[in-house]
Amino acid sequence: MAEQPQANALASLFPTPPPFWQSFTAKNVARIEELRAAQAGPEHTSHATATSLPIRLLELPTELRLLQPPEPPKDGIYRCFGDTYNLNEELPSLEEQGIPQVYTPPATPTGSGKHFDRALILKRLAKSLLLNFLELVGIMSVNPEQYAEKVQDLRNLFINFHHLLNEYRPHQARESLILMMQDQLDRSKAETEGILKMKAQVESVLEELGKKGLVEKEQNEPLMLEDGGKEDEDLSSDVWTELRKEFG
Amino acid sequence: MADRLTQLQDAVDQLANQFVASLYYINKHHDLQTLSATDTVRQEKKIEGDQDPGEKEVDPYPADVFRAGQKELAQDLIIKEQQIEAFISMLPGLDNSEKDQQDTIRQLEEELMAAEQKRKEAVKEKEAVLARLESVIRSVKRP
Repeated sequence: MAEQPQANALASLFPTPPPFWQSFTAKNVARIEELRAAQAGPEHTSHATATSLPIRLLELPTELRLLQPPEPPKDGIYRCFGDTYNLNEELPSLEEQGIPQVYTPPATPTGSGKHFDRALILKRLAKSLLLNFLELVGIMSVNPEQYAEKVQDLRNLFINFHHLLNEYRPHQARESLILMMQDQLDRSKAETEGILKMKAQVESVLEELGKKGLVEKEQNEPLMLEDGGKEDEDLSSDVWTELRKEFG
Repeated sequence: MADRLTQLQDAVDQLANQFVASLYYINKHHDLQTLSATDTVRQEKKIEGDQDPGEKEVDPYPADVFRAGQKELAQDLIIKEQQIEAFISMLPGLDNSEKDQQDTIRQLEEELMAAEQKRKEAVKEKEAVLARLESVIRSVKRP
């Protein structure tokens, strides 16, 4: 009895990756990049954006064939874990869901308009929610039987609210992307700066050492100190004081 | 942490929950009243109460407790609504259009590439300097 769950766990092990992962060696990837660049011509190479698919190459050696992404399905439907999905999932409009739209639609986020009106509408909806709830409580206190209409109103308001927010999602996604890129840029810059600073520091130390003639002396010194480190330490002590001065 | 849009949607859902909770509270804990002198409050509590006190239809609270509860719920509603408005004002990028965003993204992409290039160069220089330093240190430690 106790072994039953374990057997199940074994049976549902995570599937192994498809065999073609082995083709993605650094060498192969570099090679296909090269081929693509050659195919695209010199004017395209620098400006491959993330949105465009890599150029399809017709003739490829067999070991590179698996690096070519397959064409997107023509009918716009794909299957994943037994479910079918649409390639471009669209947000169904309120009318399609049979919900009355209680606001005048603002400029869609895909347009070039700004979004202040959207915020205004959302605030109005939020206030309407409260007001409608107050009315609902009022109605219930007088005649509880007549709740249905008001509840329906509340429901519509909530759905409208959510719909507006969902329409806003792509916009927010882009906004987050911008934030993340900005972040990464800052981090990269800070790192470069740190490296350069450290480099300068190390260089100045080396210079100081060089000035003292230590470096040259050390390098030219014949290696004859076989027996222990006494003289060794004497020689290096200057270097250590120098380093200590520098790095505290 | 969830993004602000999700936070806002959660807040709206919470508001809906509070609506229901408020109604439930009033329905469950209001006091029973006599409308005229001949009415009496039925004592069904006593009959059912012994078996299952949790299932009473109405469980009246003392007047002051009931009013305090009502007041708290009302205040919570207002606070939640204010929270929602605050979230709305804080929605990211209200003043950017999609075109602005794409321009920004493209520009950032280029800057990122340039920064990455610089970083790689810096790393290379660093390695060169490190190698020099190491050779010096080695020569010091093991002459």
